[in-house]
Amino acid sequence: MKTSISSFKKKTRVLSFLKRSIIFDIGFSIIILFVVLSLMEPIINGYILKGQGVLKSGIFDKYLPPSFEHLLGTDHYGRDVLALLLASLKNSLLIGAISGGIATLIGIVIAMMAGYLGGKVDDILNGITNTVLVIPSLPILIAVAAYTRLNLILMCIVLSIFSWPASARTIRAQILSFKERPYIELAKVTGFNSFEIMFKEILPNIAPFIGIGLANAIIGAIFAETGIRLLGLGPGEIPSLGLMINWALAFGALSLGHYHILLSPAITLILIFTSLSLINIGLEEIFNPRLKKITGI
Amino acid sequence: MKKKIFYYIIRRVIIYLITLFLSFTVVFFFLRMIPGDPVTRFVRMIEQRFSYSPMSIETINAWKTRFGLEGDIFTQYRRYLERVFLNFDLGPSFVAFPTPVQDVIAFRLPWTIFLLGLATIISWVIGTIVGALAGWKRGTKLDSILFSIALSMSQIPYYIIAILLVLLLSYIFRIFPPRFALSLQINLFSLEFITNLLYNSFLPILSLVLVLSFGWLLSARFITISILGEDYLLFAQAKGLKKIRLLNRYVLRNALLPQATGLAMSLGFIVNGSYLVEWIFQYPGIGGLLQFAINILDYNTIQGIVLMSIFTVLTANLIIDLIYPLIDPRIRTGE
Repeated sequence: MKTSISSFKKKTRVLSFLKRSIIFDIGFSIIILFVVLSLMEPIINGYILKGQGVLKSGIFDKYLPPSFEHLLGTDHYGRDVLALLLASLKNSLLIGAISGGIATLIGIVIAMMAGYLGGKVDDILNGITNTVLVIPSLPILIAVAAYTRLNLILMCIVLSIFSWPASARTIRAQILSFKERPYIELAKVTGFNSFEIMFKEILPNIAPFIGIGLANAIIGAIFAETGIRLLGLGPGEIPSLGLMINWALAFGALSLGHYHILLSPAITLILIFTSLSLINIGLEEIFNPRLKKITGI
Repeated sequence: MKKKIFYYIIRRVIIYLITLFLSFTVVFFFLRMIPGDPVTRFVRMIEQRFSYSPMSIETINAWKTRFGLEGDIFTQYRRYLERVFLNFDLGPSFVAFPTPVQDVIAFRLPWTIFLLGLATIISWVIGTIVGALAGWKRGTKLDSILFSIALSMSQIPYYIIAILLVLLLSYIFRIFPPRFALSLQINLFSLEFITNLLYNSFLPILSLVLVLSFGWLLSARFITISILGEDYLLFAQAKGLKKIRLLNRYVLRNALLPQATGLAMSLGFIVNGSYLVEWIFQYPGIGGLLQFAINILDYNTIQGIVLMSIFTVLTANLIIDLIYPLIDPRIRTGE
């Protein structure tokens, strides 16, 4: 059985890179915390709402300020803001992860075809990537959301159509640089075919950059999803952070002075975007030695 | 040498035309995949709202012809291309029927150009200069503070910043208006108009500038630090040139080209979020129009806005590419 050539390199412990970038660690911890909170959402909300639906109105009094019983208060329909926030966080992260995942898969396939086949194929695919990259996608997505009844999966697919080019670009650049490495030459001489070289030699080595592409695609997907929801479009029965901001603005959280209804989803979103961006730069810092000297804090 | 610039320009223009055509095609077919056609929806809306008796097939077909929706999708596509590229006609709008979409857009466009143009220029200049300084002083406390703030700020969508700014500066501290409310009675180009305009658009511009300048700061810092290791800089230092001259002539100048490329590439992104900022402030630009068009499902206007945005972004890209030879002598000499 032929083993991969790059695996002869000294193996490092899988999670040892965690120690190498404080930026990555901060971002990663926040995201992990959010993922855990989303996973625990049924339990926490079961406790808060005593088995009632999260969107059901009139369970509690309207506009209660934050207190022990309602940590983030209640909104204009008498719904618990914390319960809504957790359900929305779960949906926003889920939509981000699914669309980001689809987009990154498309990105990997396009980048591998472009980067490895080279020549005319590369020119054409690169042209398509750059075309989609400059298209301002949000107006198109808003139009689609305005005209169609989107469910969760359909929404993810539509979002991923415009968020793949960013990851395709990142990954293509890496494939091009790895293609020239000596051990790839060695693999060719040893008699590996292109397919094996691609999957056994190059793909494992560009994994961190796929991670960067994924983080970028998730940022793009959550950005677009929140923007669409901010306008009140998309599936109304699926709460999301953008939709919560839309409700808060539409029902006068600002003019009535109930700032907590607006601040809860807004701050959560800021934390999501910031930590994804930290993960992004952190991964670059760890795996791009040229950059490691550069970021240096 | 002249010939090389000529070929460079021709090549860029051809790529521009192909990209423009491709993205128009993508958008056309993408929007047509949406089930149902706008005229049927429009007809139904009129029937419901004004309790007319159902329209006859002839009337509906006449409407379809007017909106370019007769025949199969390829006939429609051909006709649409003819209409857009030969007659510069985007079709009648619903928001201001029967004013054609291009006129509705043209009326709003100056507002968006003002907002985006000013915000982009301010943030690009601030970001590039501060970023180059941070990179120049790398490792110092100032650098790490700037870098950390920029890292956490640069990916936050501006609509969230806009909402928080409204909360802070319009509701908690009542300094700036939460909505764009410019009196149209004031004489254009008077001092009062300009101060009023700046006062009203301060928050929308600030929310774009806050996010964008940190993005530019990051890239300028990165470029500067990679320049710091170059031999020519070492040589210049060895010559004993003054620091300010080094920073100005050797670092900033070389950082400008990649920064300009970055500007071209991120224009689509800048346009993307700005429509939502306009919506938040009820700003009278394209974003406000888009919101209005979506409310009444004005298909032609939505499609027109999308195509116009693409056209603007691509054209801005082309212009930046054509200015390149002025900044980068390598393209002039064809190295």
